[in-house]
Amino acid sequence: MFSFTKEQKVFDISGIRIGGQPGVYPTVLFGGLFFKGEPNFSEAKKQIKNMLDISNKTGNPAIPDFFIKKEQHIEEIINFIEKTLPKNHPFSIDIIEPSLKIKILECLDERNLLPRTVYNSIHVGITDEERKALKKYTPEMAIIVAFNPKDKSPDGKIEVLQNGANLTDAGLLDIAKNLGIKKILIDTAALAPGDNSGAAIAAIPVVKEEYGLPAGCAIHNVVEKSKWLVNFESAKKSVDASSNVNIPLFGGNFAIFGPIENSELVFPIIAWQDILISEYTENYFGINPVASHPRRKLF
Amino acid sequence: MDVMKGYFNQTDSSWNKYIASAVNDMVEAGVEIISDGQTRDPFVNIFTRKLKGCRIRDRTEVIGKVEYTGPITVEDQKYVRTLVPKNRQLIGLLTGPYTLTKSSVDLFYNDEKELAFDFAYALKQEAQLLQKYVDILSIDEPFFSMCVPDYGKELINTITKDISCPTRLHTCGDISNVIPEILEMPVDILSHEFKASPKLFDSFKQYNFTKNICLGSVRSDNVRIETVDEIVNHIKNGIDVFGDKISQLAPDCGLRMLPRDVAFQKLKNLVKAGEKVYGG
Repeated sequence: MFSFTKEQKVFDISGIRIGGQPGVYPTVLFGGLFFKGEPNFSEAKKQIKNMLDISNKTGNPAIPDFFIKKEQHIEEIINFIEKTLPKNHPFSIDIIEPSLKIKILECLDERNLLPRTVYNSIHVGITDEERKALKKYTPEMAIIVAFNPKDKSPDGKIEVLQNGANLTDAGLLDIAKNLGIKKILIDTAALAPGDNSGAAIAAIPVVKEEYGLPAGCAIHNVVEKSKWLVNFESAKKSVDASSNVNIPLFGGNFAIFGPIENSELVFPIIAWQDILISEYTENYFGINPVASHPRRKLF
Repeated sequence: MDVMKGYFNQTDSSWNKYIASAVNDMVEAGVEIISDGQTRDPFVNIFTRKLKGCRIRDRTEVIGKVEYTGPITVEDQKYVRTLVPKNRQLIGLLTGPYTLTKSSVDLFYNDEKELAFDFAYALKQEAQLLQKYVDILSIDEPFFSMCVPDYGKELINTITKDISCPTRLHTCGDISNVIPEILEMPVDILSHEFKASPKLFDSFKQYNFTKNICLGSVRSDNVRIETVDEIVNHIKNGIDVFGDKISQLAPDCGLRMLPRDVAFQKLKNLVKAGEKVYGG
């Protein structure tokens, strides 16, 4: 447990604050929906309600992360977001296909939803068309994935943020800033086991000390790819949920924790971890947690 | 970019297709000595990325003792071998220790010579492995065009000593002020930018030399495609100075800054010109 010498930025999106020194703000948790591509809206409605209820109990802010994989689902998923989420509640959109990203940005702009949008994500595969769309329809917040195919170590992740590792014409941070995105979160790019998976966690304090930006990752992806866990079926969910404690432990600010149905396990584990960190950082560094922090809510 | 699909699917993102694309262009253009194309990174980063003690920020930063930790370009060369016809040769490319030193920000040694030799010791280990898979080794030292340090010969010798395949030193730029030092280098072939700096012909005339020459014959900094006849005339000018010491024809330097179609056409014309002068 530690504190950074670099001043730490805190960004607000619709009242949810992300970033800062360890022990101040609770870890923000992104719960994923529609991974498989076909949305089940009635189930999703229950899951979101459940996640928000637990979030309310622990104090860890919850942001639903919507996977959108097909063009025909854009309209209905955005309708669902408008109808289901509490007024002004932020959400993130998680899209791989560049052409789909552009259509979704247009749609979010038409519905005036961009001020609530976390764009997930900008990376070295960004296209010229995507840049134009982002310039025109700029989301409130964006996640940059610091994946560097040339170097998967923390240094490689810094390189891609700083100068694009000769894969893009500029560093990803400059690209995002030049597009007008002011609130940037850094996803330290969790990779499969055997592919320097631990670097995603090790990179969190490196990124925060270098840039002062909020950092986190989807460490859940590493658990998903740990094939040996199939032999420990009863433990797998616990391993998955508890993998996320690495993020706040290393000074991170958010966890993209995988399927939203894992909320019941993930939120209490992270709240527990946040309390542990807060106790120490307050005692040692004099850092006070905010009123919504689990240590204030649950004690 | 395909590598991002690999990331999102959590599958391996191989670089081989980029290497294959460069190699296939060289083969199709008729080039006889094939490199791996150095597609992975700029030529400094290829090495410093894999050497202990270095990290890459805007430039390479040396933050600890430079040490070799394992093969850097060997796997790529093995892959290139699978792509090229048997009658083509492979050239292994090493970025020279002086150039690595001059291109890096030294936050550890505070002693240029010591750093340069540690780079050289590391490159020697790469050369020892690489010689088993390539037909010739080339050391790129563009910074020699500005200055050859008094330990320059010893530095290059650290790499080339006991290497069994032929070795080449490539120094682009205007080397007219350092030709005596360059001629002393312990390599078999000297490679220079004769097309962009034709005055080098006159400069070399003043010296006796025993080494073979790789004659830079098309510009690497200009999109204008030299005609076959223009290249033929250039080669003939080279023969007037170097006679039968010309053992290779090449672009002045790497072509990575040129559009792919321009680079390809330059190579094609270079091959045709070489065939016209020396026979097919």
